[in-house]
Amino acid sequence: MIRQQLCAFIKLSFLDLYRRKDLFVLLVLSCVLLTPLALLRPFGQMGGNRYMNEIAMLMIWVFSFIIALGASSRLFPPEFESRTIYPLLSKPVSRGVVLLGKYLGALSTSISALAIFYFLYAMLNGFRGGEWFSPLLLQAFVLHCGFTAIVVALGLLGSLLVTTSANITLTSTIVVVMFLLGRRLPHYIAADETPVRWIIAAAHAIGPHVEFFDLRQRLVHSWEMISWPVCALALIYAASYSVTCLWLAWLALRRKQL
Amino acid sequence: MHPIELENIRKSFNNVHAVNNLSLKVTGGEIFGFLGTNGAGKTTTIKMLLGLIKPDDGKLSLFGKDAHDISTKKRIGFMPETAYYYPFLKAHELIAFYGELCGMDKKTIKTRTEELLVEVGLENTGKKTLKTFSKGMLQRVGIAQALLHDPDLFILDEPFTGLDPLAKIHFRDLILKLKKRGKTVFFSSHELSEAELICDRVAILKEGSSVYDGPVTEIAGDGKSNLERIFLHVLKDKKSEDINKQMEAGK
Repeated sequence: MIRQQLCAFIKLSFLDLYRRKDLFVLLVLSCVLLTPLALLRPFGQMGGNRYMNEIAMLMIWVFSFIIALGASSRLFPPEFESRTIYPLLSKPVSRGVVLLGKYLGALSTSISALAIFYFLYAMLNGFRGGEWFSPLLLQAFVLHCGFTAIVVALGLLGSLLVTTSANITLTSTIVVVMFLLGRRLPHYIAADETPVRWIIAAAHAIGPHVEFFDLRQRLVHSWEMISWPVCALALIYAASYSVTCLWLAWLALRRKQL
Repeated sequence: MHPIELENIRKSFNNVHAVNNLSLKVTGGEIFGFLGTNGAGKTTTIKMLLGLIKPDDGKLSLFGKDAHDISTKKRIGFMPETAYYYPFLKAHELIAFYGELCGMDKKTIKTRTEELLVEVGLENTGKKTLKTFSKGMLQRVGIAQALLHDPDLFILDEPFTGLDPLAKIHFRDLILKLKKRGKTVFFSSHELSEAELICDRVAILKEGSSVYDGPVTEIAGDGKSNLERIFLHVLKDKKSEDINKQMEAGK
């Protein structure tokens, strides 16, 4: 029965995402931006191709982040605002299943959108004379799914603690800061001798290490793949971080005054 | 074993008593009206019955079990006062979603959905999503989702709100049909005329406590009183006494 309930939530999330126009707007925007990039051959230089691929990958990361955060931050607030949470929780379904179902729903829809973006990237690369498919592309996609799992879990947790706008601002700030500075922070901490370094170290330890999941440079420059055990470790980290967020979200939902 | 049993229930929010020492017993197969003014504690009581909030004190049971028990929830059909549901879904999709949450198989969901949409008069809504539905139509969707899994106890929060006169008659007949099938109906309402027509028993709530609990026939037995007058009488505040005097004077 729990499996059936989880599937019902996943189906609900898909209907929500695909009947709203957000995804289609981003897809059309991607096509509008990527198609000229696929057709352009600036000076016939390989470096030019790489530059185009880098832009395409950046777009995929930004758009997939918007979709994941948009889907997860909207999971609970509308339920409370329109009071649909009452008939929902009056059914024989526990709050834990509602939470997990909504998480899996948002995650699966975000991953489906991500798959479409990676397909578009493969097409772009193929049209430009590169490989249509490579194991590195698969590895990048798998790790990107790990990143999405963390973003969705953070968005879900935030949706139960703060308002939607505050949630989007906070989650975006945390993810973007960790994304940009995650790799550099250990160097800053080592170089800094003031007590502030302990605060930065704590923030670095608690923050989501989204930088683990970024294979853009390897993909763009066709570098070697990372080893699969390292990839598995990153995915275990994503799973652990998501489970911790979900556990905190469950505590928040259990105590929420309805 | 009573479908609903409350014993000295208390619930406060920020030191304000929403429900204060409330005791009730609803017998199987009866239609029970839960009446009271705004802020009397009706919705808080319903939320406690559904296991959405916990009482601070007292004993609450549904069919002899805890309200949070999942097996108890299988026997309850709840219709909220005004829920806007998921605007991106169609009526049949929403009912199917709730059916899946209730653990019903696909074939039963399909059959029940078709039956229920006809029963509540929404069979022609087809491809329309719920965002295009009127308030009355959403109330009908609410009724359909409450009836879906054929529960033994119906908890209805202000079920007549937003319904047109024809729909009210239809819904009243539906409640009476449920009673004939041995179902228990517990509903809160401001619509005293509706309560008078269909209820076996009523409880009148004032400031979180029950000020009257008994059969409708008993309180309206003299043929002169109606539930509205009794309602005003038991609430006994100055404003209602003035209204009562005006009613007695035939104004």
